[in-house]
Amino acid sequence: MILSIIAYLSIVLFVGISVYKAYQFANMPFHGRMDLYPVPKEKGYEHGGSYYEEIAWWSKPHEVSHVREIIEMLKEIIFIKKLFENQRPFWWISYALHLGIYLLMAWTILLVIGAMFELNGIIVAANSSSIWGLLLFYVSLVTGYLGLAFGALGSGLLFLRRLFDNTLKKYTTPQEYFNLLLIFAALMTGILTWSRDLSFGFAREVTGNLVTFTPFAADGLLTLHVILVGIMLIYIPISKMSHYVGKYFTFHKVLWDNNPNLKGSDIEQQVIKASSFRPTTSWSAPHIKPPAAPEK
Amino acid sequence: MINQRDLRPKDMGRSDDQLIKLDNLMPLLAPFDKPGMEPPLTDPKPAWKEKYCTSLDGYVGIDTLTRPKSKEDEDEFVRKFLSGLEKIFSDANNGVLQPLLLSFEYCAKCNTCSDACHIYTATGDNELYRPIYRSEVLRKILKKYFTTSGKLLGGFVGADIDVNWETIARLGELAYRCNLCRRCAQTCPLGLDNAILTKEIRKIFSQEMGIAPTPLHTKGTMLQIKTGSSTGLSKPAFLDTLEFLEEDTEEKFGIKLKFPVDKKGADILVLHNAGEFMAWPENPVAFAILFDAAGLNWTLSSEIMGYDSVNYGLWYDDTQAKKIAMMQMKVAKDFGVNRVVVAECGHAHKASMISSDRMASDRIPVESCFPLLWDMVKSKRLILDPSKNNFPVTLHDPCNVVRQMGIVEPQRSILKAIAPQFREMTPHGVDNYCCGGGSGFAIMNSANFPEFRTQVASRMKFNQILGAFKGTMENTSLPKYICAPCSNCKGAMRGILEHYDATEKFNLQYGGIVELMVNALVSMKKPFLEFLE
Repeated sequence: MILSIIAYLSIVLFVGISVYKAYQFANMPFHGRMDLYPVPKEKGYEHGGSYYEEIAWWSKPHEVSHVREIIEMLKEIIFIKKLFENQRPFWWISYALHLGIYLLMAWTILLVIGAMFELNGIIVAANSSSIWGLLLFYVSLVTGYLGLAFGALGSGLLFLRRLFDNTLKKYTTPQEYFNLLLIFAALMTGILTWSRDLSFGFAREVTGNLVTFTPFAADGLLTLHVILVGIMLIYIPISKMSHYVGKYFTFHKVLWDNNPNLKGSDIEQQVIKASSFRPTTSWSAPHIKPPAAPEK
Repeated sequence: MINQRDLRPKDMGRSDDQLIKLDNLMPLLAPFDKPGMEPPLTDPKPAWKEKYCTSLDGYVGIDTLTRPKSKEDEDEFVRKFLSGLEKIFSDANNGVLQPLLLSFEYCAKCNTCSDACHIYTATGDNELYRPIYRSEVLRKILKKYFTTSGKLLGGFVGADIDVNWETIARLGELAYRCNLCRRCAQTCPLGLDNAILTKEIRKIFSQEMGIAPTPLHTKGTMLQIKTGSSTGLSKPAFLDTLEFLEEDTEEKFGIKLKFPVDKKGADILVLHNAGEFMAWPENPVAFAILFDAAGLNWTLSSEIMGYDSVNYGLWYDDTQAKKIAMMQMKVAKDFGVNRVVVAECGHAHKASMISSDRMASDRIPVESCFPLLWDMVKSKRLILDPSKNNFPVTLHDPCNVVRQMGIVEPQRSILKAIAPQFREMTPHGVDNYCCGGGSGFAIMNSANFPEFRTQVASRMKFNQILGAFKGTMENTSLPKYICAPCSNCKGAMRGILEHYDATEKFNLQYGGIVELMVNALVSMKKPFLEFLE
């Protein structure tokens, strides 16, 4: 029962805090432009160009391709493209961790679906008569094995690399080692737990019990695993590991946001709104005149 | 002094006379790879050590950052910095709050950015110049004083730095060892930007502590706000200069040139960097010849703030940047032109089209000169003979115009059409390297700073130039032209060529793009480029 509560609570907090962070970033004050090229949505993306390459650019339609923007975004999310292009040795281990996480997310969903199947009488096993049961069984095996292996390997190697690389260790704080160790520990307890259950039949049973708040006998290792995963899920969004939230804003709202302030545009409305704001704090250098008193 | 390999961000507060010494610069390419071709780096004078902060790397970037006379002065200095540090995260800094917080919070310290930095590479991978070094020092100070986790957990979260006068002064100097070129931000897997943090340090120094390099502040933005130009050029002096240039052009080339000034009903207001009129007057002359030849309805302005496009505030002080941008926009609006065209000045491009774009509504449209010039070539409104430019030409991409605005092709299309021996640098376009003059370096000439600029900041660019002209360098009868269509970049080029005596020894020349265009005009009776005579 307690493990069920931990499981639900950690997932709710993971999603809740992540969404709250995104909400906070989305509601930050309107900022100045900081475009950095190449910008994927631009017509001249291949050479890094922009609408400023046209004469009288303001009188022509701003041709953008949101499809290309989404493709570039997916390349970054799925493959960590920039790291692949600019620092290949680091990419191998960082990608192992990230790919491991993606696979484990998929595995978790598959376990839930598998548990639902079993509760409804569809057997999920190698000898299942249902094609869906068979499919779910094998896909769960692949995602689970690879996810646990890649995730543990990636977090472990990232930890070791930070510990022994002369440059990285100068910049790594104890907290950052802790972050990697927490993920590693959560995954290692998973590997130890599920290595006794190579078909993931017990994992589906546990998942079913967790989902339905059904009490079940959990040994020390399983209890530790569920608690560690719970802590990890709650800790990730409050730490800087929540970069999955930040990354959307750094690209879409900073580096790729080049919409000009044209008459009648949304940007113009935001500019007008922002210019009526009177800050409550002011700078102190002698050449800066104090701003007008804050509006009541 | 620490061996740079052992240097850590928390060492910024150490009491060493000088934190590191530069001694292992990246080798230059041929013909500058031979011993004796490069003057050795020098030590700071004892008087500078006493007066300024030379305790970072021996160089003085901020000539107004002087050593305190008492313990109280020291404490006050630190207190003011901390007060400014708090303010960059307040509503006084709304205009950059979101980008700043993102870059501040999320660095995974993967170190992907280091290899992208021309200064880090030029110094032989010296730890002090690693892009995340500076950012990490700032994070440590903020965590120590302003975050709950830092106060409670200290070193566990990285709040392990000693903060004293030396720490802060060194950090201020270190903010002037970055050209704000943002090449590192292009490579960051998380889209973070170390240049934002660097500029915030500069802003704290200027906006809160009143400390900024004299060429940027007192003789830069303050002078511009007072007189209309950072050169100090007054309206009568500006008009005299134009008159002189008209006479000079007629005398030299037989062209009866008349600069249109404050012309009513003009379509285009052309904004030059006023430094061009003093240092490279052939550039505004070439613009006038081309615009007249193409039949454009254009004018210059003689109004205060109307004849100087620069905005040094971009590099160190948002409040100064805004004042200047608003004053410049007002001139254009009062004038009633349809559009403003920014001539060959990179940071003026960015200031008037990007940085000030969201400062106010109802703006006069601003455009770059490059698409306009290319259109004049493409549409054959100019009759050009490329054989007049039959010598090696390479193009330097100003970071502000290219990486930060996406204006990449027009200028190289022009060169492909008018310079038969045009060759690209490696890398180029949006992947270019900064000239080393960016973010104010080109005009910062106090103490020994020019040495840092030419031998360190411009080092990568010099190698790119040498690489582009490989195989032609030894032929001294053959001029080799670095086309640097930006006033600051030209300032950096001038510094490089003078420092290495490269014009004298190897006939290495530099200038803008319009000079090459005028040189190719069929109507020109004699070469416009002096070195061809």
